[in-house]
Amino acid sequence: MTPTTNKEPMEMATAGSGPERDERLDRKPGVAERGTGHSITIRGLSAYYGDQHAVRGLDLDFRAGEVTAIIGPSGCGKSTMIRCLNRMHEEVPGARAEGRVLLDGLDLYAPEVDVTAVRRRIGMVFQKPNPFPTMSVFDNVAAGLRLTGTKGEDLRERVHRALRAVGLWNEVKHRLNRPGVGLSGGQQQRLCIARAIAVEPSVILMDEPCSALDPVATLKVEELIDELKDRYTIVIVTHNMQQAARVSNSTAYMLDGQLVEHAPTAEIFTNPRDHRTERYVTGKFG
Amino acid sequence: MHETRHQFREALRDLERQTLGGLELVITQLDRALEAVSCQDVELAAMVVADDDRIDGRYLEVHQGILSLLARQAPVAGDLRVVAALLHIIRSVERMGDQCVNVAKLVPLSGHEQPKDAAILEALEQMGRLARVQVLGARDAFGARSSELAHGLARQDEEINRLNRSIFRRAVEIGDDAELREWAMFMVLVARCLERIGDNTVDIAEQTVFVITGLFRELSDASHPTENVSGR
Amino acid sequence: MSVTFTLSPVSSRRRRTDRAMWGVLLALTVLALIPLVLIVYYLLRKGLGAWSPSFFTTDPTGSFFGDPGGIRSAILGSLEIVALASIIAVPIGIGVALYLTEYGRGSWFAGSVRYFVDVMTGVPSIVFGLFVYIVLVTSHIGGNFAAWKGAVALALLMLPIVARSAEVALLLVPNGLREAALALGAPRWRMLLRVVLPTAAPGLLTGSLLAVARAMGETAPLLFTVTFALGATANLGQPMNTLPYMVFTDIQSPRAAIVQIAWGAGLTLVALVLILNLLARAIERRSHMA
Repeated sequence: MTPTTNKEPMEMATAGSGPERDERLDRKPGVAERGTGHSITIRGLSAYYGDQHAVRGLDLDFRAGEVTAIIGPSGCGKSTMIRCLNRMHEEVPGARAEGRVLLDGLDLYAPEVDVTAVRRRIGMVFQKPNPFPTMSVFDNVAAGLRLTGTKGEDLRERVHRALRAVGLWNEVKHRLNRPGVGLSGGQQQRLCIARAIAVEPSVILMDEPCSALDPVATLKVEELIDELKDRYTIVIVTHNMQQAARVSNSTAYMLDGQLVEHAPTAEIFTNPRDHRTERYVTGKFG
Repeated sequence: MHETRHQFREALRDLERQTLGGLELVITQLDRALEAVSCQDVELAAMVVADDDRIDGRYLEVHQGILSLLARQAPVAGDLRVVAALLHIIRSVERMGDQCVNVAKLVPLSGHEQPKDAAILEALEQMGRLARVQVLGARDAFGARSSELAHGLARQDEEINRLNRSIFRRAVEIGDDAELREWAMFMVLVARCLERIGDNTVDIAEQTVFVITGLFRELSDASHPTENVSGR
Repeated sequence: MSVTFTLSPVSSRRRRTDRAMWGVLLALTVLALIPLVLIVYYLLRKGLGAWSPSFFTTDPTGSFFGDPGGIRSAILGSLEIVALASIIAVPIGIGVALYLTEYGRGSWFAGSVRYFVDVMTGVPSIVFGLFVYIVLVTSHIGGNFAAWKGAVALALLMLPIVARSAEVALLLVPNGLREAALALGAPRWRMLLRVVLPTAAPGLLTGSLLAVARAMGETAPLLFTVTFALGATANLGQPMNTLPYMVFTDIQSPRAAIVQIAWGAGLTLVALVLILNLLARAIERRSHMA
């Protein structure tokens, strides 16, 4: 693990103090300013696969209580970047990351930070729904909770609450002990979301969560994201621009491992400032 | 290099062509209407009224085309602004067509072989020429996405407004003459229609600036700028 | 202007070639099946006659004259020795596979381990027997010949088979499951224990059963390590009777009744191996239907 440039691990960095922050993002008070919610700040993030430089010197802010969408062409580094947020990137052999990722001011890449603790605070939902096949619906949702020693009545209550939150409760309440893989694709993905929120993380990362789903299931997940954003900060990577437009408060456009523009979603899609963003969203790209 | 979203770009270009083509229809109508006024040609006036159907038809075509494009292609950013602007512009085209019809309708009402006032006639002729230039200018400004031409339109419209006011004053002046009075009142109405046509071209100029900058500002000439920034 | 398509019929020459090919392949298949069918036929013909209740419940007497006895001690001996070999080989084999797939991906060390495991699958079983003979028997560690030493030899034989099949089973576990567990904040060992191993379990079991079936039938490793005993015993520190050994010795006897015992033992061995194979297959099918 490459050491970071940060000398004081507990340094409190105010969100949005980096250079060239887009002032359009400051117009409404974020949830963090209202005193609740969790924000992530990226400063100088670089990620490598061996020699390949996938993310280059990225500065980006994810405001609390909001959904931020990351768009960009294939290979622009958006999936790599999101995986640096919960330190999953380093699980790939030969991969490493440098820079700072601050969750509520705490640097996740500080040397003494426990990786599993980071991942318990930052949950992830993947492109292909991946419920554990040897576990029942209940056990799937409980999987993360059991890691922290939750059991008994407390466990049951939290599992039920998570299933209710994702709108699966009525569909599975009579089959909690049946295998998780017996559900439809859309239900499986919502099950994975329930599994992620059962541990009540601060942030939820979603890497193209609807790519493998049909349109109806996609809409259900999008509605769910809208409901969840009051309680969690959400970062969603998507190659579907219409989805980014529907679902997010602000959108960041990445190209070749760098951030091109980050602005409120309505503006990215009506009047982007950077001509590269304009080219991409209007489909003139390529 | 092959253009991406070829069908979409073609469709958008067609819509713009149709919309700006509507402006050329307006010019034809305007020329005829003004000739009908100065020559008291009732038949020509009737033609103008009948031909307004063409402009209305163009409006419906463009409107339908825009709905279809929005539903099927989900335009965003610059493309979205163009589509929104075209919707405004074709409305302006339709209104300008209606103003030409209003002018034409005033021809039989103003009677045959009426005594005429030279000053008013000259001012009207001038207004007509300027209006024509304005409409062509609107077409060129939008087509070229030129901010300069758009601001120029706002400035020139002031001249039309000035002529309108002078015709009104003149009509008041000669109001004592019973023979001229009625005719003069109709000419005031004609001037008003031309002034409205000028206003519509300024609307088109505003849409042009909106497409270029993403900001909607009401335009007027440089001597009294109105800061009315909205749309952000 | 329309384009007309004609679907030309198959030429009779093409048809004849197709048929000829089919005929040749069928003939080759039958040719390959003949020895298998003959083996089964001979086994049944010669060995079924030896099967009786007393055949399975009495120990061989070892006497040349009179009642030759049964094969009870051989069955028990085989089961005991193979069980011990499995207890050694299966955990170690799965452990090796886990290392190769979960920790050593891409490292040169893992690459060489995999290479050596591959080589070991090809080593003749008698070499394992010789190795154990030299290391454990001639050195007189824990006595001379002993059942547990045979179990060690068999374990060495089973190890590469278990390791390779376990590796395949582990690689079949989708990576998305590992990622999901890690993303929840599970430490690596827990992810392997609670997610990867249970998911790969049917494949691991199948691979192990096939290794067991293989070990059941191996004679050579037992020749110099376990040798022989008449009575059934649970003492792994002494020589023990085994099915392959019984077949090996009894088939050479001049007395017909004893030869028949050998055939009966051979048939029993084949039956045991067959049961194990069917069990492995059934487990695999059940895991696919789940």
